[in-house]
Amino acid sequence: MSRLNHPVIGQYIPADSFLHRLDPRAKLVFVFVFMMIVFLAKNAAGYSLLVGVALSGVLLSRIPLPMILRGIKPVLYLIILTALLHLGMTRGGDVWWELGPITVYEQGVVQATVISLRFLILVLMGTLLTLTTSPMELTDGLERLLCPLTRVGVPAQDLALMMSIALRFIPTLWEEMDKIMMAQRARGADFDSGHLLRRVKSYIPVLIPLFISAFRRAEELALAMEARGYRGGKGRTRIRELRWKKEDTILLVVLAVLSISLWWLRG
Amino acid sequence: MPRTRLMTLVEVAVMAAIGGILSIFPVIKLWPQGGSVSLVMVPVALVAFRRGWVAGVGCGLLVGLIDLMLGPFILHPVQVLLDYPVSFAALGLAGLFRPRWEQERSARSLGRRLASGIVLAGLVRFIIHFISGVIWFGAFAPKAFSPALYSFFYNISYIFPEVLVTLVIMLLLTVKAPRLVLKP
Repeated sequence: MSRLNHPVIGQYIPADSFLHRLDPRAKLVFVFVFMMIVFLAKNAAGYSLLVGVALSGVLLSRIPLPMILRGIKPVLYLIILTALLHLGMTRGGDVWWELGPITVYEQGVVQATVISLRFLILVLMGTLLTLTTSPMELTDGLERLLCPLTRVGVPAQDLALMMSIALRFIPTLWEEMDKIMMAQRARGADFDSGHLLRRVKSYIPVLIPLFISAFRRAEELALAMEARGYRGGKGRTRIRELRWKKEDTILLVVLAVLSISLWWLRG
Repeated sequence: MPRTRLMTLVEVAVMAAIGGILSIFPVIKLWPQGGSVSLVMVPVALVAFRRGWVAGVGCGLLVGLIDLMLGPFILHPVQVLLDYPVSFAALGLAGLFRPRWEQERSARSLGRRLASGIVLAGLVRFIIHFISGVIWFGAFAPKAFSPALYSFFYNISYIFPEVLVTLVIMLLLTVKAPRLVLKP
């Protein structure tokens, strides 16, 4: 296993585009609803509408295409697998191609294309969200969206606080783990060979110092927060304020229009 | 805010950070789509035994969300909810077996509790991933194809080894660093 040499966490690519500037709340709502209405599309008109929205998203994000493709890559294998399944197993329409036991029907080709397209659109929208929104923004957005749930006992603010702390500590602890692994290697530790149990055991001398140091950091942080009078919950001021802009309202209007048109085209 | 509550919040956050790191750090790679054996369950189980199942569930929830932000694998709206926040939160249920009294902290009783807790957590996680797999694959696969079978084998192929690895590590941790797992 290679050294953990680049602590680049997440997919976020900073830039100044329309999509980057949108409020995370608006983006979260859009992507979540969009993922559900994708399943409403049943015909060419519906799909061209969805493809149009996805492509305008790509254009508006001003993120280079290779970066977007890299986000989609892990799912490509699944898309190909399902497309092949549909090619081989769907019957109906004219026979287009025959090879031994495998017969490809017209319907199979249609199904394979439609399903791959649906897959691609879903993955593309999720990728666009994480490419244009930093984890911190996503956390702030989620906290605000979950705010109404505080009444039924979901500690949205506490969760958001923990999330911010966790995100803040990922690079620090990543570096720490890297250092500990190098130190153990210098003592002759071997993480890459041997049978399963041995390999798993070799992580114990990494995990113990890592956990101890993490708990120590946690204690220091809790003390520091207490010393500054942190009481949690209501009335806490924040360093980043979310601002709902005109563009965000436009996005939600687009979403509403899109949902209605898909519903209408479905028939 | 009471002292222990703040301590617990911060500890859960820091352990969730380690969980996020470990989730993208495979010990063994199995499948191209994220089905690799990692140590991601270890920090969640640790928090669950150290601070109880509520803290464990919170930690799991955060790990799931971090995982979703770092390397999203999005196929279906229900799948996203089940595969990330819900299934990881379920790992915190291991804390239901947390020893509460001194006599439950004997080596044998502790080993049994760790094993039951981690197996329970793994089982619930498997069931959630299994349902999610059936739902999303059902939405994409041809009618003649059984999504249940696919989901069963795919999910068991990495959850089973992951549960074993977590169990081994947690047992070793309790032997070598008991004060990490059981707050004195």
